[in-house]
Amino acid sequence: MKDEPMLLPEDFVVNPSRPIYEQFVEQITARIVRGLLPTGLRLPSVRDFAAGRRVNPTTAARTYQELERMGLIVTYRGQGTFVTNEEAMILEARKVMAKEAVQQFKEMAISLGLSVQEMIELAEQEE
Amino acid sequence: MGTHAVISPLIELGEEAAVRCHEVSFKMKKKMILDQVSFEIPKGSITGLLGPNGAGKSSLLRMIAGLSSQDSGTVQVFGQPAGEKMLGKLSLLPDRGSLPGWLTAEQWLSFAAGIYPDWNEQSAKQLIERLKINLDTSISAMSRGEEARLQLLTCLSRTAPLIILDEPFTGVDLISREQIASTVVAEMGDGERTFLIATHDIREMEMLFDRLVLIGDGQIKSVEDVEQLRQHGKSVESCYREVFA
Repeated sequence: MKDEPMLLPEDFVVNPSRPIYEQFVEQITARIVRGLLPTGLRLPSVRDFAAGRRVNPTTAARTYQELERMGLIVTYRGQGTFVTNEEAMILEARKVMAKEAVQQFKEMAISLGLSVQEMIELAEQEE
Repeated sequence: MGTHAVISPLIELGEEAAVRCHEVSFKMKKKMILDQVSFEIPKGSITGLLGPNGAGKSSLLRMIAGLSSQDSGTVQVFGQPAGEKMLGKLSLLPDRGSLPGWLTAEQWLSFAAGIYPDWNEQSAKQLIERLKINLDTSISAMSRGEEARLQLLTCLSRTAPLIILDEPFTGVDLISREQIASTVVAEMGDGERTFLIATHDIREMEMLFDRLVLIGDGQIKSVEDVEQLRQHGKSVESCYREVFA
């Protein structure tokens, strides 16, 4: 267990003003997409996850439910919960994350009154 | 038929609140300690009872625990009036309580095992490991953190479905606080237990609470669903500030 990768980054600090499960889902999704949590990896039980992070058990359960709904983790009765073996699901999650990031980037550009292209050019300008 | 007989009382219990206070008032030497206090705690929740010093938290907890009685109003635990009869249903960690210093942890635990009919030796053994209790240490030689961990162990080694912790973190070091918080989560037992925790240590506990009861000057200021707060961009701490600042 000790040698297995951690579900969340060790230095991850929760924002107490946002739903905790959302933040856990984002972090774990990113780690699955990056391969830090490999396919087939067994996840801790909801109870161990909650106790380890010192969060309400409902938060841990909701995190797993949401990841399951996204198809990134799978629970087999009596065996436990695992990172999915289906690459397609992971690729899909990667695409969703990329889209969201680009969307945020676009919104930022608009708020600065720039086009996406202008924003990149501005950022890359030599001093 | 047989199944029904077993299941139906459980379903009824499931619908009951673990704690229900209705218009509870209490005076001490003409001073209003609790004033028309009403709130409910659902079974299986970890509720934080928050409020400044002198808000009436300890008085309220003692009443729920059946150690004192209100002047008016009703206090119910699992649908029954709070009092001596309900002592077996709840486990209280009192504020500034202390354990007999002349005993070692081991002697104390064997004493506790004898006085509590719902003592679970198996749980006690697991908790000794989880909370890193040194059985040979005499209680008088323990740090505040160690004693707090031993008190929590005593509380949780019983099978009582309602756990009331009154300021479990006072004077407790960081690592002990973390161990205590983590143990509370692990001991929830799939929602079979309900925790009511009075604390000033909001930062350590805010991730644990799913419900808040905010009390000030003997009155309920607010009852909050923590998930709802966060959906609205608020934290337990900011909510506390809004109510009491």
